[in-house]
Amino acid sequence: MRPAVVYPLLGAVFAGAMALSLSTGSTHIPPSEVLGALAGGGTEMAARVVRELRLPRALLGAMVGGALSVSGVAFQALLRNPLADPYILGVSGGAAVGALAASLFLTAAFLPLPASAFLGAAAAASAVFLLARRGGGVTRERLVLMGVVVGAFLNALIMMMVTMAPPGKIPGAIYWLMGDLGQGTLIRVGLLAPYVAVGLAALMLMSRGLDLLLLGDEAAFHAGLPVERVKTALYLTASLLAGSVVAVSGLIGFVGLIVPHGARVLVGSAHRRLLPAALLLGAAFLTLADVAARTLSPSGELPVGAVTALVGAPFFLVLLRGRRGGA
Amino acid sequence: MTAPALSARDVSFRYGGNAVLSHVSFGLSAGEVVILLGPNGAGKSTLLRLLSGTLGPASGAVALFGRAPEDYSRREMARNLSVVGQDPPVDFPMSVEEYVALGRFPHLGLFGGASPGDREMVSRAIASAGLTELASRPLSALSAGERQRAAVARAIAQDARVMLFDEPTAFLDIRHRVRFHEIVERLAAEQGVGALVASHDLSLSAEYGDRIVLLAAGAVMADGKPEAVLTPENVFAAYGVEVACDQNPATGAVRITPVRKSRVGREPK
Repeated sequence: MRPAVVYPLLGAVFAGAMALSLSTGSTHIPPSEVLGALAGGGTEMAARVVRELRLPRALLGAMVGGALSVSGVAFQALLRNPLADPYILGVSGGAAVGALAASLFLTAAFLPLPASAFLGAAAAASAVFLLARRGGGVTRERLVLMGVVVGAFLNALIMMMVTMAPPGKIPGAIYWLMGDLGQGTLIRVGLLAPYVAVGLAALMLMSRGLDLLLLGDEAAFHAGLPVERVKTALYLTASLLAGSVVAVSGLIGFVGLIVPHGARVLVGSAHRRLLPAALLLGAAFLTLADVAARTLSPSGELPVGAVTALVGAPFFLVLLRGRRGGA
Repeated sequence: MTAPALSARDVSFRYGGNAVLSHVSFGLSAGEVVILLGPNGAGKSTLLRLLSGTLGPASGAVALFGRAPEDYSRREMARNLSVVGQDPPVDFPMSVEEYVALGRFPHLGLFGGASPGDREMVSRAIASAGLTELASRPLSALSAGERQRAAVARAIAQDARVMLFDEPTAFLDIRHRVRFHEIVERLAAEQGVGALVASHDLSLSAEYGDRIVLLAAGAVMADGKPEAVLTPENVFAAYGVEVACDQNPATGAVRITPVRKSRVGREPK
């Protein structure tokens, strides 16, 4: 599809998802009143619900969905593997360990911070990177395999830490681990925004490098790319995005896997066009998933991570079965 | 003879204690098509890697326009030397045009976009590889021969004066092989490109090589005109296969034919 059609279309889909998210909940508020509340008018009740409860949550969901998606785009190009995402690589697990360690044992309330999650994500990423490194280069098969191994190890750490946590913090930690946007206060939105902005800008600046990496390391090298340097920078940037997202919203899987595929169908593989498309599509996707999480169960909210996994796991299977040839 | 565009002087390389190349010397001049022959394991790929700066030699020196590869920045190196390896990947959707345009990378500013001149180079490269009709197709919809030509087109768009080809026609039928060699011949003749082509095809090498370098067991066994290098003695020494060599009546080039042992000495019918 032509970019002149795709971006307005994606923008409209995103705006529609936001409108739906702001008007849906325990009390339905029609879009006209939502607009009024956003503009500063409307009834006092509607204004409070929209501005203080639903808007921060919708913004958080949009940012988380967009950041996970562009992080997935980067990891897939890095590994030249359309099945890669931050979860397969153990990066999210590392972020969760970092965030849990800080919030369970250092802070008074359960409050995972992006910085500690990024440290965990970067540590896990470097561990995976170094373990997979042999004889100077890194093959993507080894990288994925090491990601699975490191991820399993980190899962064990997560379970141990939750078990040993102060009892008052356990329910919050468990709900957070399942992927949770309910914590979306404006403070968290503000905490996450700079990380997402920096990460996205860095990826856009490296978009040609991402394109070249799709050709394979050796071809990218011969085309003039300082491959190892660019890959390291990309790995850190993608970890920063995934890590900071995990801190504010826990483990939300499959977004970084599904959305890049959808965005590629719309705009192709050139990253200068793909990254913005994945950002918009991912924001809309997670916003809608959150609406579903809030409305599907009559007895209360579902964790949004459960909703994305319900959609994502079958999609993953379809991808896996549809793939011809080797890795 | 003018100074070679690309040269190896007394180059040796070891891999895990085994000598892969020992004391290899050779040069490639502008406008020349040199074909690198030799059996599997003779060290052809290693030599190409040394020449392209992917590997560094244990001893000896490689020079591209008089400078060692490590003295070039990556982008500067890519403006002077391009490499065509295996098929382009098809894991991700990418059109022929997008793929070929990636060849312009070393010529672009770090953050700037492609200029009309760049786009012109891309469509010329696509045209000279005979892919104009297929430019907007995804790579995954192309045949193996067309994909290989797309890889050549990307290297042409890269606009380097030296081009290396690592067994580019290995999986192609005769039509695509001939077509590949015609493209390389034109690049050398019209743009003064120095081309080094690693190959397993003795017949086509004899026809299209200005010079042939025959590599065996990590050393240069012969280097010269096709008729001087492709003798039954050299071919037997390198490959252990008996061949008959005569002249192609149409072109005058040396012609290599395998000799079937069970037929030798029989009366022709």
